[in-house]
Amino acid sequence: MEQEQIKVTINGNEVVTAPGKTILEVVHENKIDKIPTLCHDDRIEPYGSCFLCVVEVEGMNRLVASCCTPAAAGMKINTDNERIRSSRKTALELLLSNHYADCIGPCINNCPANVDAQGYIALISMGKHEEALKLIKQQNPLPLSIGRVCVRDCEVACRRQIIDEPIDINYLKRYVADMDAPHKWRPEVKPGTGKKVAVVGGGPSGLTCAYYLTLEGHKVTIFEKLSRLGGMLMYGIPEYRLPKKVLQDEIDWILGVGHGVDVKTNVAMGKDFNIDSLLKDGFDTVYLAVGAHKASTMRLEHEDDTEGILWGIDFLRQLPDGIPELHGTVCIVGGGNTAIDAARTALRCGADQVKIVYRRSIKEMPAHHEEIHAAREEGIDIQILTLPTSIIRDENKRLKGLVCIKMRLEEAAPGERPRPVPIEGSEYEIICDYLIGAIGQAVDNDFSKDEKDLKLERWGNILADGKTLETSIKGVFAGGDAVLGPFTAIASIAHGKQAARAIDEYLRTGEAGKRNKPFLSFKHKFAEVSEHELSHFEKIPRTRMPELPVKQRIDCFDEVELGLTPEQSAYEPKRCIECGCSEYYDCQLRLRADDFNVDISDYLGETRKYTVDTRHPFIVMDPNKCINCGRCVRTCNEILDVSALGFVSRGFRAVVKPAMEKPLLETNCIACGNCVDTCPTGALTEKFPFKVLGTLPKENREAVCNFCSIGCKINFKVLHDDIFFVSNAEEGGLNDTHNRGYLCVKGRFGHRYLMGKDRLLTPLVKSGGDNGLEKAGWEKALDLTARKVKEIVDKYGPEAVAVLGSPKMSNEELYLLQKFARAGLKTNNIGSFSDILYGLDRDALDGIMGCTRSTASMDDIRDADLVIVMNGNLSEENLVMEMKIKAARKARGTKLVLINSSEAKLTKFADLWIDSRKGTNTILLNGIMRELIEKGLVDKTNMGLEGYNELKEKTAPFAPWKVVEDAGITAEKYDQLLEWVETPDQKIVFVYNIDSPREKSKNDLKAAGNLLLLTGQLNREGSGLIITREYANSAGILEMGVTPGYLPGFVKPFESGEIKRIGKAWNTGLEKIFKPVDLEEKLLQGEIKALLVFGEDPLVVSDNYKYLKGVEFLLVSDMFRTDTAAEAHVVLPAASYIEQDGSYTACDGRVQKVNRIMKPKNGMENWKIIQTLAGKFDKSFDYDSLEAVSGEIENVNRFHGGNGKGCFNKEGKPRFVTYEIDTATLNPELPTLLYSENYYKTKIKSQLR
Amino acid sequence: MKEIKVGLATCGIAAGGETVYEEFKKEIKENNLDIPVNETGCMGMCYAEVLVELVDENESHLYSKITPDKVKRIITEHVMENNPVEDWIIRNNTIDKEQDFSRKQKQIVLRNCGVIDPGSIDDYIARDGYKAVQKCLKEYSPDQVIDIVKKSGLRGRGGGGFSTGLKWQFAQRPVSDKKYIICNADEGDPGAFMDRSALEGDPHSVLEGMMIAAYAIGADEAYIYVRAEYPLAVERLLNAIEQCEQRGFLGKKVFGTDFNFKIKLKEGAGAFVCGEETALIASIEGKRGVPRVRPPFPAVKGLWGKPTNINNVETYANVPWIILNGADAFASMGTEKSKGTKVFALAGKIAKSGLAEVPMGITINEIVNEIGGGIAGGKKFKAVQMGGPSGGCIPASQGDLKIDYDEITKTGAIMGSGGLIVLDETSCMVDLAKFFLNFTQNESCGKCTFCRIGTKRMLEILDRLTMGEGKEGDIELLLELGEKIKNSSLCGLGQTAPNPVLTTIKYFREEYEAHINDKKCPAHSCVALLTYSILPDKCTGCTLCARKCPVEAITGKVKEVHLLDQSKCIRCGLCYDACKFDAVEKI
Repeated sequence: MEQEQIKVTINGNEVVTAPGKTILEVVHENKIDKIPTLCHDDRIEPYGSCFLCVVEVEGMNRLVASCCTPAAAGMKINTDNERIRSSRKTALELLLSNHYADCIGPCINNCPANVDAQGYIALISMGKHEEALKLIKQQNPLPLSIGRVCVRDCEVACRRQIIDEPIDINYLKRYVADMDAPHKWRPEVKPGTGKKVAVVGGGPSGLTCAYYLTLEGHKVTIFEKLSRLGGMLMYGIPEYRLPKKVLQDEIDWILGVGHGVDVKTNVAMGKDFNIDSLLKDGFDTVYLAVGAHKASTMRLEHEDDTEGILWGIDFLRQLPDGIPELHGTVCIVGGGNTAIDAARTALRCGADQVKIVYRRSIKEMPAHHEEIHAAREEGIDIQILTLPTSIIRDENKRLKGLVCIKMRLEEAAPGERPRPVPIEGSEYEIICDYLIGAIGQAVDNDFSKDEKDLKLERWGNILADGKTLETSIKGVFAGGDAVLGPFTAIASIAHGKQAARAIDEYLRTGEAGKRNKPFLSFKHKFAEVSEHELSHFEKIPRTRMPELPVKQRIDCFDEVELGLTPEQSAYEPKRCIECGCSEYYDCQLRLRADDFNVDISDYLGETRKYTVDTRHPFIVMDPNKCINCGRCVRTCNEILDVSALGFVSRGFRAVVKPAMEKPLLETNCIACGNCVDTCPTGALTEKFPFKVLGTLPKENREAVCNFCSIGCKINFKVLHDDIFFVSNAEEGGLNDTHNRGYLCVKGRFGHRYLMGKDRLLTPLVKSGGDNGLEKAGWEKALDLTARKVKEIVDKYGPEAVAVLGSPKMSNEELYLLQKFARAGLKTNNIGSFSDILYGLDRDALDGIMGCTRSTASMDDIRDADLVIVMNGNLSEENLVMEMKIKAARKARGTKLVLINSSEAKLTKFADLWIDSRKGTNTILLNGIMRELIEKGLVDKTNMGLEGYNELKEKTAPFAPWKVVEDAGITAEKYDQLLEWVETPDQKIVFVYNIDSPREKSKNDLKAAGNLLLLTGQLNREGSGLIITREYANSAGILEMGVTPGYLPGFVKPFESGEIKRIGKAWNTGLEKIFKPVDLEEKLLQGEIKALLVFGEDPLVVSDNYKYLKGVEFLLVSDMFRTDTAAEAHVVLPAASYIEQDGSYTACDGRVQKVNRIMKPKNGMENWKIIQTLAGKFDKSFDYDSLEAVSGEIENVNRFHGGNGKGCFNKEGKPRFVTYEIDTATLNPELPTLLYSENYYKTKIKSQLR
Repeated sequence: MKEIKVGLATCGIAAGGETVYEEFKKEIKENNLDIPVNETGCMGMCYAEVLVELVDENESHLYSKITPDKVKRIITEHVMENNPVEDWIIRNNTIDKEQDFSRKQKQIVLRNCGVIDPGSIDDYIARDGYKAVQKCLKEYSPDQVIDIVKKSGLRGRGGGGFSTGLKWQFAQRPVSDKKYIICNADEGDPGAFMDRSALEGDPHSVLEGMMIAAYAIGADEAYIYVRAEYPLAVERLLNAIEQCEQRGFLGKKVFGTDFNFKIKLKEGAGAFVCGEETALIASIEGKRGVPRVRPPFPAVKGLWGKPTNINNVETYANVPWIILNGADAFASMGTEKSKGTKVFALAGKIAKSGLAEVPMGITINEIVNEIGGGIAGGKKFKAVQMGGPSGGCIPASQGDLKIDYDEITKTGAIMGSGGLIVLDETSCMVDLAKFFLNFTQNESCGKCTFCRIGTKRMLEILDRLTMGEGKEGDIELLLELGEKIKNSSLCGLGQTAPNPVLTTIKYFREEYEAHINDKKCPAHSCVALLTYSILPDKCTGCTLCARKCPVEAITGKVKEVHLLDQSKCIRCGLCYDACKFDAVEKI
């Protein structure tokens, strides 16, 4: 009964809709608004828990959850206003206030330039060094230099140190940068914009800004006061830490990589030019990165006019141009990196003794601890808690020493360094020849003396906007030490990049855009991360950087740190504990948080803390990230009936846990991974066989699962090149396919075997003797094969050659393969081991409907009244079909009958389980037919069929008592089955697993066909038979004619017209070649001398050696070195199904096109291999593309042509192949069928929609 | 012929009723007397337990605060010598010491409580029990029954206040092969015990009410969802059901009519949220007790997906009376929109705590000051908290407010199921709000974001306030969160959870401000905000406080002024309580 439509008003627009829909459905259907939601999944029942989807309904005080509130007639709904947005924002803030999780690794966050350390560590762990470098250079163009001098804020934040020590992040960066020392790698460069930018200062900040701007297409000129670029990296860092050549090479690379950066050296702002003059000279904008090069005073009397007193920064600045000479004792005042650098440099400049005087203790020294350690190793004396109070000099104003006072530390406020206080009366003298002041630097303000409009801060730093780095002058930007005061190189780089982004936007739009910082969750913002939480990680010691021995290094400026070894670079990434979330890009919570600009500071309080459960082989549970939306629980319960997950506890402590709080693996979990797919956050994620690449974006590539014949749509999420995982089809595409995004364990996790390292990549040939298989080139292997086969043909005739294909291969491969056999080799010895071994019943329905294939589609299950599953253990073999049956049961009470001798998971859920004895199913079905005939419940149109009377006669003996006795089932069960089958006018879908070797027996399928014919189910739309098979293209292998029995299109030997037509297309006299052959017998008799096996591994079962006893030449084409390949004379490496395009025919006749996910690792697509080989026998195998093959299939295969309709619709989406056989032309001499010998004479038009 | 009845509801038992009961039995046996000693339910005067009613040849005497050692005297003097022990009697024909407590009450629901033996169906029948259901089955059509209940103006006593007749009509309307009746006896409000007392004191009237409802909507099966924490109620209900089954009042062809009805008991595991009807249904079905969205309402799709009527204990207990006395008699009591009576559990700082059934329309002041005898200890009446954790407080200044569903709702509180907690000047309103919010926070099922995390965050703010760590903006944040939680939660628990906070802010905002701005608790209740100090001019140097102090924070020589070291003080208040000269000051 059609219900009346209702009218609702949404945001002022009247909408007409069917009743019973939720507000959310109506809004989304009509594309009125995109209401955010986290807990809603339209494949499961509405729930209503996250309250992100709230809307206002006129007349109701409260906001309502649109996901679970039905739209009622006359409702006036508002989906967006301040109150709604505010409520949604608070909902997100509350959820995030209890989300003890890291969005990205703290290493990334703590790096001022946000270099994706976790990402490049993961890439290094996979050996993808170039990719790692590319990732680094997206954020930092100076990894060679920074990899040597960085202060490593990343390592400071590294969580690993809670377990043992931080990861050696910086050295790993240096490692990949060193690998590209010739600077081969080139970034992408955008076309020129014609805009000009002046960068003042050629230090790390200026260089970085120039680099990113030139990549954007802007013309950059760097103005440098000194003679060389590099700033403090060049003039402040000594050679032994950062060789000048390394730095210069890196600078040169930056200058040349984009549109070319112009450089003007020895020009000083304030002297040679100013902002006005730059703008007048045609620069569109200016970036000021002049650094902080002025040494700070020690505030000692006579420090400026005493001989022997130097300034650290000035001292070091001399180095690029020559080594200053020192002698005697050198005393350095200060505790930062400049002090250490000056001390170690002084040692190398001839000083006999070097002392450092510092007023606090070692712990408080700002210098990097490894530098302090190195200095001490080199014999430098660090006098802590010491402050110089005056200078001692002789009458010639020459330094003699200095007076110091001892200090003690006073406790300071939290977060502040302890305050040093002089100890009265503790003065003492230090005799020294040189004193180097290195207590800090400041911005030298000479550059700005003309710039009246440029505002400065109190310390002389340039004032710049926090987000855009724009100065008080519009269009003029500033960054680096000039803004920060003397700080770190990486912070300057971060500024350079930040400025480049702002300047680019300014140049394009006239405004420097302000960006909001994205929301990122971090564990440490909630509470200190404890050792206990990470106790499941074992302690692994950190690598030690190889160094030049102390004795060797103190006399020269050679680089001290030698760089990690390849072994170290492979070892160190294993220590990464992968803090950053693998769902970074997909996490709905994070994405919505950004949409609403959330701020959780008001709601910080108690948070849940759970240890992450990684015990399951495929699924990681992190309840800390759970938002209690219950999507996993509901999917597991409602869709799968597995109930492996549930809620525990109440209130704030409520959380999803595996049933009975056991490890997930010990529950009913079937590892289908559908919980992972529905989880909107990272609470349930895949346990990857590789390191998590948190913030690397994933590319989605659709494909069809290759495991079973159901043909589920899957989505390859490619992280990089050949690193991928599989998830459900992307949002929106869920309803596009029969599996609605749901997958089984094989489909979800099985494809990872393709990432295995043991792939065959080059051809192998047996060179004779005991040498076994040796690597060879393609040409050699193929030539050898052709020669050997030709020899055998010459010797034994073409009948001694056989070609075997696999039901996992694509239609195109299979088509070419059989054409190779028939047209190329002139033999009908074409088939498949799967057929030889398990082919029973394969042609059972040929007599009834012309060919043996499904007549119903997967989607018909949804509308069926009764589903009968015979021989199937769907839970294990075809989970997605099981889910569809369960869904139909829930939605419309579809009854499920399972006919299976042994207990399977589904027997528990089946409405009726017929546990008939093995081999008695034909009796059972005959018995049912007898009852139907007796009771006159037979489809009237089929009663007149020829053979009806015979069928009636032959089924007559199968009285109920006999069936019950023979099949070994109870009378109650049989009665129930009869009652359900006898119900008139219902839709029955009969699922028959043809590849179940244990359960099925001969004639079962014929009997099933007869039963369906008798009840009219074969002619009725939406009902009929689905034959499930083991492999993705089990249906296609027959359709393509990879069997001695059919030519493509199920053409049988008696169909002379078709044979002629195809023969003409192939330019081959097929009449002589295409004749019945018992391939199994020929193999057993040793008549096959040359065997070409594609994609199959029969010898995995040793009994099958019997088929190979006559074989003199064996070719195997496979992805792996299988047992069969080990016996072969020639092995051709095959491409995997994700490395090539092609089409596959699912069990229900749906032909689906698949595009390749990645390039073939073996170097050649499989169709090309077959073509090349076949080409050596027949010149007509000259297809220039796979499309040419597809085109020929459409031409040759009468079904795929589909009466000119083809397998795909205009949008390229799969269409069911219609097939219509005029059975009148069928040969009456066909082998007889048990009860339907004559049925083939009837015109059965089995048409799949 | 004499009879002794001992009040053995939970309140009586808690006061030692069972030993008194045993003592009576022992004494009677020893004296070879032939006098029955029976149990009876709660008489409402919980403050006066153990209550013993002695019915002699002339009249009934109610003894109060009886302990086992008093039993012997009652037996000798009253039973054997016919000389009532007037010292202990609070009510008989001549004495009425508790007339204030009972004068303004009107008993419908509790009409049998404390009167009959709840274990005896004959006692119930003797007081017109099961007459109402027979009348319905024989004289009225289901529609007529619904009409009567509608006309009576009875509204759901569980707290929602929805018209009972209308609710029945909704459940009656759908055509279904199966319908259910559920009695919600999952009384969970802290301090509320109306339903428990009714079940313990008069289980049959609840069963009879359910039978009438079942007949009206066409149900043949019922569940009583009762808290497992009410073992006595469970026992008496099971006993009552068994008696009914034996008499044919339950089962097939009840009272010889075509009406079939069975009642099952389902013990709840103590989740407060299971008082919410959809969560309650889920719990009976064996699922996690989590509310679901409505519509569909249980009247359309309830237990096992079938139309279901849910009412609470008190609602059902009203029904037989209405049938027997007529809708008009019921509707004559109360206000325009709230009819009949309401049972309240009086608790808190009130002089006479207990159970009181009052006609609608009575004022809060009448309940507190007249029935409840005012505030205990002569302190100042500050407010009442009504409706438990879902309710709110009404300040003493609105004491003239009439008990009426809609009037109470206007204040921000709710009628609720009848918990009425009286607060005096020593009650800190922030602490009170915290108490209730803590309760709902723990009892939230954890499904909805706002209820699960929002109430937790509110609680943390309140915690902060009572610890003296409140900051500016906290009140606004509480108001904002509270409003949002009310607006965006699926069930009543979440929708009402912020009420205790919102109403206390509404009426006592200055108390919140004092906690935040002055770091002081005006009620001197929040320990962390108290400062004890010794007033030098009052201290006599008696050393008592110093000796009581568990942390040696007080020092001083005998007969000299003592000193309190604030850095050591743990604010236990022992010195304050100990000082006989008011020399310890608490601010």
